Amino acid sequence: MPESLIAIGDALPYLLRGSLVTLIVVVGAMGLGLVLGVPLAVGQVYGHPALRRAIAVYVWFFRGIPLLVLLFLFYFGLCTALDINLSAFAVAIIVLGLISSAYQSQIFRGAILSLPEGQFKAARALGMSDLKAISVIILPQALRLSVPGWSNEYSILLKDSAVTYALGVAEIMARAHFVATRTYQQLPLYFAAGVIFLILTWVGTKGLRLLEEKVRIPGYYTH
Amino acid sequence: MAAPILRIENISKRYGKKDVLKGASLEVNKGDLKILIGPSGAGKSTLLQCINFLVKPDEGRVWLDEQEVHYAHKRDLYAYRQKVGMIFQDFNLFDHLNALENVRIGMVKVKGMAKAEANDRAVMELERVGLGDHMQKYPAQLSGGQKQRVSIARALAMDPKVMLLDEPTSALDPELIGEVHAVIRDLGNNGMTMIMATHQIGFASSLASEIVFMEDGRILERGTPDKIFNHAENTRTREFCSKITELYGER
Amino acid sequence: MEEWLYIQTEVYPALLKGFWVSLQLILPSALCGIVIGIMVGVLRVYGSRPVTAAANAFVAVFRGIPLVVQLFIWYFGLPYIGIYLSPFIAAVLGFSLCSGAYHSEYIRGALLSIKRGQMLAAQSLGFTKVQMIFSIILPQAIRRALPGCGNEIIYLIKYSSLAYMITCIELTGEGKILASNSFKYTEIFLMIGACYLVMTSVAALFLGRLEERLRLPGFEHQRI
Repeated sequence: MPESLIAIGDALPYLLRGSLVTLIVVVGAMGLGLVLGVPLAVGQVYGHPALRRAIAVYVWFFRGIPLLVLLFLFYFGLCTALDINLSAFAVAIIVLGLISSAYQSQIFRGAILSLPEGQFKAARALGMSDLKAISVIILPQALRLSVPGWSNEYSILLKDSAVTYALGVAEIMARAHFVATRTYQQLPLYFAAGVIFLILTWVGTKGLRLLEEKVRIPGYYTH
Repeated sequence: MAAPILRIENISKRYGKKDVLKGASLEVNKGDLKILIGPSGAGKSTLLQCINFLVKPDEGRVWLDEQEVHYAHKRDLYAYRQKVGMIFQDFNLFDHLNALENVRIGMVKVKGMAKAEANDRAVMELERVGLGDHMQKYPAQLSGGQKQRVSIARALAMDPKVMLLDEPTSALDPELIGEVHAVIRDLGNNGMTMIMATHQIGFASSLASEIVFMEDGRILERGTPDKIFNHAENTRTREFCSKITELYGER
Repeated sequence: MEEWLYIQTEVYPALLKGFWVSLQLILPSALCGIVIGIMVGVLRVYGSRPVTAAANAFVAVFRGIPLVVQLFIWYFGLPYIGIYLSPFIAAVLGFSLCSGAYHSEYIRGALLSIKRGQMLAAQSLGFTKVQMIFSIILPQAIRRALPGCGNEIIYLIKYSSLAYMITCIELTGEGKILASNSFKYTEIFLMIGACYLVMTSVAALFLGRLEERLRLPGFEHQRI
């Protein structure tokens, strides 16, 4: 028993540096997902039918294929085929980001669709162009409504980041496994990894709940 | 003089700091129709729900046919609830079942009747309340008055000794109230013992054997309709009744 | 021509074998997951205080820890205390428990969304607590939970690929082996991706049909 605690203690700094890697991957993927997701959502709600269909296919593709398969496809397949030299770390962020953009686009789309029609009408009546109406009236509301869904996306991405271990990204799980195979303290170390993930989830969700509170519009509840 | 079919003694209930019921007692004989009247918040609903223990009273005792009912003895409690039917203001029909299934389910699941037998009885009860043509409809497809009549059929199918009606027509559009009243009157004429909380004073006075006036968790006065409406002893009773007459115009 | 031969003799049988293993992983896990989800969901809503607390803790842990970590614990970790599970069993165990925790969230949400009046009516008719839960509440709750639970099953189909990471060779695993040998990563993984797309799309279609079948007039609108 004490040897397991010693093993955990020794490995802790190493594991914690891994959580930094994990967090960067997660934040990077969420950011990419956001940057792509918003235009995708806007395109799906307000765009030309052909555009909407194309986006629907994109969403279907990235939501229908397992993360692991996409990671292999991009890292081993496309990178060599297109002769691009990207680190596993970069590929991880890109792939996770693309998948996240598909999910986030649906969150934003749902939020946009939940707004009453009158919002857009009023903006137009004031003389705003469609683009202006979307960026100044629709999106600020839709984004605020999306924070709970975003919070969910965070915890999903956090857990999915562990899969990138398959590409050799030096995140928490990879490091735990590395130490475990050398010290034979598998169970304690995986437990420790699990606990670190739980803490990261808890902290992140709490933080996002604070964000939700902060951006909440007074009295605005679609109940 | 036969023993009362239902007796409740000293029922009290507190929610947090508020005393919603303060020592209410009542005796109901077979065939009685007791009507509870009083302002909102008087505790009428709570009292009815305490009688069948949907709400657990803090104090008080209940006897059905001289047998005391103990909340803690679950099996007795369930058996007791079969004998006491309840009609809710919000109907509370089971949304995933059509009208026939709603009436049938209590018989099958609680009384353990065979499905065919229960089915026949359910059909009979629905026809009795005038809904023979609506048996396959789901609650969402029925009007308020129809829903309430189904809920009455559902309660009757259990062969209750007493029926508790908690403002049965308060959630109905005015033109639908009559059909429910007709069914209730029919029940009364056939000898069903009922305790009903209602704001429909005109209907109440024509049917009631006794009017019970409640306010602030207490039973302030009780008596025949004539006594309560015309010669009430308590000032509060007189005030309430005069306001009601103004509001509803009829007596 | 050589390509075609390769596909026929090597790729196709290997992928078929992998697909079969995937199915064997997914179906039992989905079933167990739903059963666990219903049990845990019911306990979380109707259980006594300690039971609810325990169930909530279970869900928090199994939803908070990555599936990969859970799988590693069952396969690589249990031997530490002398329990040796096959990769397949460890995978099904991991998938069932993790999936069950997620299902219970949807079930719990659905149970809580059922109008209180339904319970009151059942109680007033003399239903016992158990009868009430199984005859009145759950039939309604399952319909409400179906979209969420259906979604979770689609996730399961995708996450079954993680079995590869604990050496259970299913579709993805077979693909990795084939690709490592032939270096045709792009083609093979595109094919595998297509397989999963078909699986998830068929599942989504089926679940959509199921939702249609079970739909009740006027029931979809969540009344509070």
